[in-house]
Amino acid sequence: MTEKQFVGRPATRVDALEKVLGTARYVDDYHLPGTLVARALRSTLPHARIISIDVTPALKIPGVRAAITSEAFVNHGRFGYPVQDMFMLAHERVRYAGDALAAIAADTEEALRSGLQAIHLELEELPGVFDPQAALSPQAPLVGERPWDSPDLPRGNLLNRYVVRKGEPEGILAGCEVRLDEEYSTMHQEHAYLETEGALAVPWPGKNGVTVYANCQSPFLARGNLVQTLGLLQENVRVIQPVVGGAFGGKDDLMYQTTGQVAKLALLTGLPVKMTFSREESIIASYKRDAMQMHIQLGSSPDGTLRAGQIHAVVDSGAYAAITPFTAWRSSIHAMGPYRYEACHVDVDVAYTNNGYSGAFRGFGNTEVCAGIEQAVDELAYRLGKDPLEFRLHNCLRPGDTTPHGQVLGEDVALAECLEQVRKISDWERKRSAIQSAQLQAVIPGEIRRGLGVAAVFHGMSLGAEGADFAVSTLAINPDDSLTLTSGLTDYGTGSRTVFTLIAAETLGIRPDRINMLRPDTDTAFDSGPTVASRSTVMGGNATRIAAMRLDSLLMQAAADLFDCQMVQIIRHGENFVSPDEETVPFEQVVQHARSMGLTLSAQGRWDAPENYWSFEKGQGKPYFAYHFGAQVAEVQVDTGTGKVEVTGFWAAHDTGTVIFPQGALGQLYGGITQGLGYALMERVDYDQGYIQATNFDEYLIPTSLDVPEIVGVFVEKPFTPGPFGAKNIGEPGMIPTAPAILNAIFHATGRRIRNLPANLERVLLGHDLRKEGSNMACKLGLQSTGD
Amino acid sequence: MKIEFTLNGSLAIVEAPARISLLTLLREYLDLTGTKEGCGIGECGACTVLLDDRPVNSCLILAPQVGGRRVTTIEGVRGPDGGPNDLQRAFIDYGAVQCGFCIPGMVLSGEALLAANPRPNRKEIRTAIAGNLCRCTGYQQIVDAIQATALRRREKP
Repeated sequence: MTEKQFVGRPATRVDALEKVLGTARYVDDYHLPGTLVARALRSTLPHARIISIDVTPALKIPGVRAAITSEAFVNHGRFGYPVQDMFMLAHERVRYAGDALAAIAADTEEALRSGLQAIHLELEELPGVFDPQAALSPQAPLVGERPWDSPDLPRGNLLNRYVVRKGEPEGILAGCEVRLDEEYSTMHQEHAYLETEGALAVPWPGKNGVTVYANCQSPFLARGNLVQTLGLLQENVRVIQPVVGGAFGGKDDLMYQTTGQVAKLALLTGLPVKMTFSREESIIASYKRDAMQMHIQLGSSPDGTLRAGQIHAVVDSGAYAAITPFTAWRSSIHAMGPYRYEACHVDVDVAYTNNGYSGAFRGFGNTEVCAGIEQAVDELAYRLGKDPLEFRLHNCLRPGDTTPHGQVLGEDVALAECLEQVRKISDWERKRSAIQSAQLQAVIPGEIRRGLGVAAVFHGMSLGAEGADFAVSTLAINPDDSLTLTSGLTDYGTGSRTVFTLIAAETLGIRPDRINMLRPDTDTAFDSGPTVASRSTVMGGNATRIAAMRLDSLLMQAAADLFDCQMVQIIRHGENFVSPDEETVPFEQVVQHARSMGLTLSAQGRWDAPENYWSFEKGQGKPYFAYHFGAQVAEVQVDTGTGKVEVTGFWAAHDTGTVIFPQGALGQLYGGITQGLGYALMERVDYDQGYIQATNFDEYLIPTSLDVPEIVGVFVEKPFTPGPFGAKNIGEPGMIPTAPAILNAIFHATGRRIRNLPANLERVLLGHDLRKEGSNMACKLGLQSTGD
Repeated sequence: MKIEFTLNGSLAIVEAPARISLLTLLREYLDLTGTKEGCGIGECGACTVLLDDRPVNSCLILAPQVGGRRVTTIEGVRGPDGGPNDLQRAFIDYGAVQCGFCIPGMVLSGEALLAANPRPNRKEIRTAIAGNLCRCTGYQQIVDAIQATALRRREKP
């Protein structure tokens, strides 16, 4: 292939200019005259039967224009994927503290607040269940309802169970000379996108349709839910994506509920309706990364060869399923880590509880199990007296190996290269040999100790065997010779619009600034499935490449006609087309000639993921068409007098295939590592009897610029043939191994294993929590008084 | 009440209630939506503006407090041609922008730092933006952009 002009070279992010100037419009920046303000009334009880909700007193308040309950929607607004267990507003039952019960639109904030207070609400409190293990007991109060959810699994609050089966590990484990048998747990994590949830609905004249601007992740899912719950025709619902201020997986289900509420209020009043969440409402109402409990058993031969493993995990789905069944399935696939085993069994149970609810969050499923397995593998290495990085190199998946779930890998496996690279750039051997592994008893309190830890990751790309996996892009040449590019996938800060623009420019041989990549709009783009699971670069990138190739062949046809030669004789030089007689013609002239030939200068590209399959009964298959691989090393400094952990160095090597947009890929890596650092050390969503304990950034701490070290990131660019220009995805994997790398470094420094996330001061210092159970600090559910 | 102050170099006279925040004044009364609300309690820095050249959280300042003073918002940070200035250009070139929601506040904190300390080291840059939360970037490319701008401004005084 000839030298690439744009792919892999420094590029300008397509939306960076408007963002640095402050002119980018996020949904709350849209000001339309006469817009009503809206908010939901949320439950202050975690579990209750709804006896009645009377909104008529609210409607009597001057300035209140409309008030709705679940009665306002078709089939009470039931929606959800894969389980239809949510409603646009709670119906019959409240399942978590923060569940939306009613919604009001009003002229002013004051009228809105008075209206919410005037709603007459009668709830009968029900016993709640807050521990996912306890929720599985047949005696536990039922959170869900039958037969809508988990019809085939009538055991307590069990929502689903996923298994992986390879051989019979039990016998092998019993015969292993070195074994590990430990429990690990992870906590819920808040997405903490800087922009809270927001939506603006504009009714059409005659109130027969509605346009919604919403900062959701997948506008086509929003439209589908609106069509289903409002009873409108698909052509009468339009969802447009404004600039989105971060999502990380968090702007799906709750946002579809929010769009439903504002759309209904707009249709009732005939006026634009806007809803913007306060930070408190965002944290209380929104779904989180699921919490997980893991029991891990591993066995190895004395020479350090991993032989068998068993994992049983319980996932807290909280009040609703949202995407958690999918999360749990992804957990089961990735639970054993990127290693070779003779045999392994994985069982992942998903339980309903009355704790908030769980959904997608960067790396969903894998981020949680990686915190378990990468600590367990590390512990085993220490028990064997092996260097933890060397132990991973000895056991890691290589080209042609079989994964723990029975998939034979191809050539695109570069984990060993990643481990070697990260060993080199972190100066692992010299630094490790300079630090004596700490023995817990020998640590002198107050001593500052250093440590280095490593963790590895493999991560299935895109949706895998759970869903239809395709993307569609369109490209058209406009009358002014600029190009318009669309994709049904959303850029909520990830940089995918820039990646697609670069791919189109490279394929067509034209400057990226000729191309205007639109944000998704259900009327101009084509459904491309949800923007989740690190799908964009490969799925949307390939669709864009196909659209660009089709358009390019039209232009080549025109150039051949112009030059009166064959297409293969034409040479491209920059944007110019060069004939066999070395006549040079610019892009514009070829376009003009194509128009005069009557060619339609637009093209659509669709890419379907290669076939994959999974047997849910047998727990075997080929769940993903390919995997991303990576390895990270953390260096920490621990104050053994206070338990304070400072991450002083961080190195990462990831197998991304060809990098398309270097600044963007590095930004994804740095940002992912930073979220992983927060997950490891400070981010803590406590549900105390169903009440969330931190509701704003004064209590829910996320990393600041002073908490993050200088990160050194490198990409192992082993070209991935099915990817666009050889690219793989990068969105999620940067975050996944970060927490276990830090926890392993803390062990190296202190001799203490923190098997429960996060590694806060008391756990690092004492090995257990100081926080007493049943504290009386309930969440601040007086939401109607917080906004201003 | 009537509030008079210097906004991005020009005199602004606004009729607004006394109890609203500077953030609300800017966003709702002056339609300057570049200043963002992220938390409403002065923790995230998305609403950072300069008040007499010092960075403040505009959600914590009452609108009448700016009477007679100078306020600079992101809309007031421009290069000589009306486009991005050198710091904003560096944010673009160094890949410091992802979702962009924190960026107006980051740029203003960066400008305040460079005005006060033309030779900041990376630690000083990190300290200057410690009140501005970013959930996307991990801060590194933002630090790169501010550092590169400091170097360039020293070369071309």
